[in-house]
Amino acid sequence: MKRRFPAVAGFLIPAMALFVLFLLYPVVKTFWNSFYKVGPFRANFLGWGNYLEVLQDKTFWLAARHSGTWAVLSIVLEIGIAFLLSLALFNRIWLHRFFRTAWFTPVLIPYVVTGIIWLWIYNYDWGPLNTLLRALGLGSLAKPWLGSPHLALYCLIVASTWMWTGFNMVVLLTAMHSLPAEIFEAAEIDGASPFQKTVKIMVPLLRPTFSSLVVLCFVGKMRIFDLVWVTTGGGPLWATETVATYIYKRAFAWNVYDLGYPSALAVIWFIITFTMSLFLGKVIRGKEVEYW
Amino acid sequence: MVTMPKYQGRQTRILGKSFVFALLLSYTAFILGPFVWVGLISLRTTEEFYRNPYGLPTPAHFEKFAIAWTEYNYGRYFLNSMLVVGTAVVSAVVVGSMAAYCFAKFRFKFSEALFYLIFLSIMFPPQIRLISLYQILSQYRLLDTRTGLILVYISTQLTLTIFLLRDFFEAIPKDLLDAARIDGCTEWGIFWKIAFPITKPGLSAVAILNFVFLWTEFLFAVTFISSESKRTLPLGVIRFLGERYEDIGMVATGVMIAVIPILILYIVLSERFIQSMVIGAIKG
Repeated sequence: MKRRFPAVAGFLIPAMALFVLFLLYPVVKTFWNSFYKVGPFRANFLGWGNYLEVLQDKTFWLAARHSGTWAVLSIVLEIGIAFLLSLALFNRIWLHRFFRTAWFTPVLIPYVVTGIIWLWIYNYDWGPLNTLLRALGLGSLAKPWLGSPHLALYCLIVASTWMWTGFNMVVLLTAMHSLPAEIFEAAEIDGASPFQKTVKIMVPLLRPTFSSLVVLCFVGKMRIFDLVWVTTGGGPLWATETVATYIYKRAFAWNVYDLGYPSALAVIWFIITFTMSLFLGKVIRGKEVEYW
Repeated sequence: MVTMPKYQGRQTRILGKSFVFALLLSYTAFILGPFVWVGLISLRTTEEFYRNPYGLPTPAHFEKFAIAWTEYNYGRYFLNSMLVVGTAVVSAVVVGSMAAYCFAKFRFKFSEALFYLIFLSIMFPPQIRLISLYQILSQYRLLDTRTGLILVYISTQLTLTIFLLRDFFEAIPKDLLDAARIDGCTEWGIFWKIAFPITKPGLSAVAILNFVFLWTEFLFAVTFISSESKRTLPLGVIRFLGERYEDIGMVATGVMIAVIPILILYIVLSERFIQSMVIGAIKG
């Protein structure tokens, strides 16, 4: 083993250097910053000061509620719709290959582009949504969707669902195809209906997949930034402010010249997200199910 | 169902199937419709758009792509994206595969702990290092440079790359490597001549994954890049957004320039794209 030390070092050093310099060190530095007031030229130690301020920060808690709502609704919508879609494709409905490829497409475009597309879809004067409503004689329901404080957040959630459902669908479909076919055949011989086969056999077997998808979806929505930034910028009246946009504003957009406070926000949010995703993953994965 | 006469059961089934099929078709329209619409707008001028937002591009203004490319600076954004993302993807895969190979084939002090740390850091959200990276980059005069963005991008994708590639390298039979060792090949030579080439499918899957993530990346770019000439495509696309007179036609052309390369690759390699994203999800 000793003999190979130079080889190990050679293989590992470039990656480790980048890892430490641009990943580990910045993370540690953010924790460090969170205990200081960090101005452009000097930093003053505050102890837990920033954290105490976060607890009092109404905007932060509002943003946290928005991000949390987003995460929870997305899990239900994306994974729920994706499951139904993948069931249809799993039963090899006509054109299933085309459907799969088509539905996956939005996953590959930048969030920024999704944002522009939906900004236009929701446009009051000429957006397709209002145009459709007016064509159906429901013109009274036409609204400036992203401009109304109690709808804007949900409108953005629809946009992110549009983008990500195809991803969940593809992962579920792959998992379904990897389930052993004999189980379903055996269930069929025992007289199980298609519904029973799905709910009692397939769903429990897919639990590990559901668990990864829930965690991925949760983590992704808790950090959502781009989509909000290009559509509403957190408005109107904080209605779509997420923790990510709030951190960004506190650090770079408001001219408060303190990088310590937003660091504390980032640390708190990271800890909350991290523990909750571990918990979610554990709970949903549950006990291993074995049928054979 | 059991008591139902057979022919009736079949009719309901066919009816049910067509209903499901109609639902799936409308869902497809919901997903693809926006792309088609933006694609059509990208070939029309803004005046034409305001006359009829849903008209067909007659005549099709293909010259808008040339205008966007030169006068609206999209050529610059495109080259910046290619340069930054291309360099970052290649470096992440090369550097990452070396480390992954090391974790797969050598046992050394703390190798397990180190690998676990790398695995954990996949979970780090960008926000946890955004602010400190800003400080670090400005300290080393790398703020608002493509080099700085490339370094950040490599580090962003590096952990997932190492994590995914380790499995591919572990699948290489030890005998193959030992045989090469007996033939007097150096460890370095073994990696480049044997391990790296035979892991190509894995490497390309991870490269596709990294490419998609970085081509679409926005938060780091918007934070670290401020000059016009260094913008990447996601930054370029929003540049003309929200002005008083919104040039819808040109924004759509810009959007298409940002999206077309990935869509073409996707149409050609759709199976591989889907598979590499699934790998990322299931293992990560």
